[in-house]
Amino acid sequence: MTLPKGVIDPEPKTPDEMFVGWASAPKVDRRFLLGALPLGLAGAGGGAWLIANELDDPGAGVWLTGATHEVAGALVTDPYPMLRLADPSMPGGVRTVLIVAQGKCTSALQLDDQRGRPVIARGVLIQRKGRQMLEVPLFQDDWLSPTKMDMIAAQLSPPVKPLGAAHLSGAIMDTKCFFGVMRPGRGKTHKACASLCIRGGIPPSFWVRTKTGAEAVLLMTTADGGPMPMDILPLVADPVEAAGEIVQVGDLLQFRADVAAYRRI
Amino acid sequence: MGHQYKAIQWNRNKVVYDLYMVVAVFVFVGVFMAIGLQTQPTGHTADPVVLAIRALGVAAFTLLTVILAIGPLARLSPRFAPMLYNRRHLGVITFSVAAAHFGLALLWYHSGGPLNPLVSLFVSNPLYDSIPGFPFEVLGFIAFLILFVMAATSHDFWLNNLSAPVWKALHMLVYPAYILLVFHITLGALMTEKSMVYPVLTAVSFASIAALHLYTGYREWRIDNGMKSLKAKGWIEIGAPDDIPNMRAVIAPLPKGDRVAVFRYDNKISAVTNACRHQNGPLGEGRVIDGCITCPWHGWQYRPDDGVSPPPFTEKIATYNVKIEAGRVFVDPKPNPPGTRTKPAIIAEQGAVAS
Repeated sequence: MTLPKGVIDPEPKTPDEMFVGWASAPKVDRRFLLGALPLGLAGAGGGAWLIANELDDPGAGVWLTGATHEVAGALVTDPYPMLRLADPSMPGGVRTVLIVAQGKCTSALQLDDQRGRPVIARGVLIQRKGRQMLEVPLFQDDWLSPTKMDMIAAQLSPPVKPLGAAHLSGAIMDTKCFFGVMRPGRGKTHKACASLCIRGGIPPSFWVRTKTGAEAVLLMTTADGGPMPMDILPLVADPVEAAGEIVQVGDLLQFRADVAAYRRI
Repeated sequence: MGHQYKAIQWNRNKVVYDLYMVVAVFVFVGVFMAIGLQTQPTGHTADPVVLAIRALGVAAFTLLTVILAIGPLARLSPRFAPMLYNRRHLGVITFSVAAAHFGLALLWYHSGGPLNPLVSLFVSNPLYDSIPGFPFEVLGFIAFLILFVMAATSHDFWLNNLSAPVWKALHMLVYPAYILLVFHITLGALMTEKSMVYPVLTAVSFASIAALHLYTGYREWRIDNGMKSLKAKGWIEIGAPDDIPNMRAVIAPLPKGDRVAVFRYDNKISAVTNACRHQNGPLGEGRVIDGCITCPWHGWQYRPDDGVSPPPFTEKIATYNVKIEAGRVFVDPKPNPPGTRTKPAIIAEQGAVAS
């Protein structure tokens, strides 16, 4: 066969049978598909296994949904909402349980009436490596009730122990997600969520590693111990460093530094 | 074909195709979730919602990679034609998986806060002036909008009402969407996870799609170069009748840049445009089945002599006049209006007779 220049036979090597969608597939296509389709499913399963198997460790946090816990202690709101329980076994004689609301709007919690008083709070526990947080309903008020309880002075004014100046590098987390609501609750894929959480009043914390590689989580405050302003939001979840002061307040470690002290690495 | 609009004109191949793809998605997401929940150290269980977001995101990207590979693969081997046939359904499945990924991510990461979730998507990470810090979510959102437009206009109703060129141009947006998703992954998950498997898989996916398109594009360029449009006026010589395989066609260039498909069937020769009315599929690569030219892409059919789809269908394509002189087939390069009946050239048993 000799075609004039420019004229082509588009499929000189293919058999006469052609796959047509509305008709039965030719034998050659059926044979191909019988081999390819199981391979495709095996590829889907194998690919999923490979990708899921390589995911980073999400961390040790847990979110104990499904069970309501009651915690009795002194309600404190400065710098962030928390309960302080008398506990002689803990540094400063108190054990702190941070309070956050369901969702990302902790600043909407109505706490003024009970501030500085003994209360019983009911909610869901979130905990990571011995640190606890209570997640309470946002649009109900029966989660918090006053109680009669002898309080020790440290519950309202725990001893403040300066541990010295420090230059730390790490990442700024929203404490709720990092403690266990999101696993993982760190990294760039979590940056928007962490930023929204901190914007909503969830305490920011500074996640650092010590020289030995151990994990340390420090509650972040301004240099004078106040809540962090929203100027911190662009730095959330990124690798940052900052010079500040480490202070132990009761059983909690705080890192005190103003926003200007933080620098993206 | 489009004699009337139904949601989907199902047939056995489409049902099997869709079922298979849905099963494949469930296998992928199921295995991903199961492995993701079990492989971490005791007490370090990953959040099932975060895992689902990731599984659905990876599944959507993988499906889109497969979709983009089908076109060039089908150009390289007709064995991939079954995948091409129902590719639009695969596109809708991909959009559905992407929608689940987007919905869960919006709910989990951006809802329940002091900002509207869609506002949060754009402002929670304000580092628009930084390449490594750039809010990858925005890239994924734009890609999702493109997939939405493509899925919403995937039906033949839109193909007919927008016209094939506009519809095709609209659906070429899949390429920008894919590139946006590559950056969505690169500036998001790849900057969070430590394993090198992820950048390698992303790079291999992107490189495979680029290489397949470049290679098949080069092949087409070579063919185009070999059959440049004729400048000569008058009838175009196609060759001897026997040069055209029975029930098939040869393709020839035309002076104005179009191509004509010249079919031989039942001892006759007829010529039609090479572009299918449906999606510009290459009719000259099709066959004559049940007396009709049948497009290799989606099986649309036209009668060889008048270019009209058999009843109840009504589509029409341009026809060309043909003749046989001195044992050679010739085509008039001037197209007839779509649906114009022409007289086929008759192939004589001994030698050739002019039509």
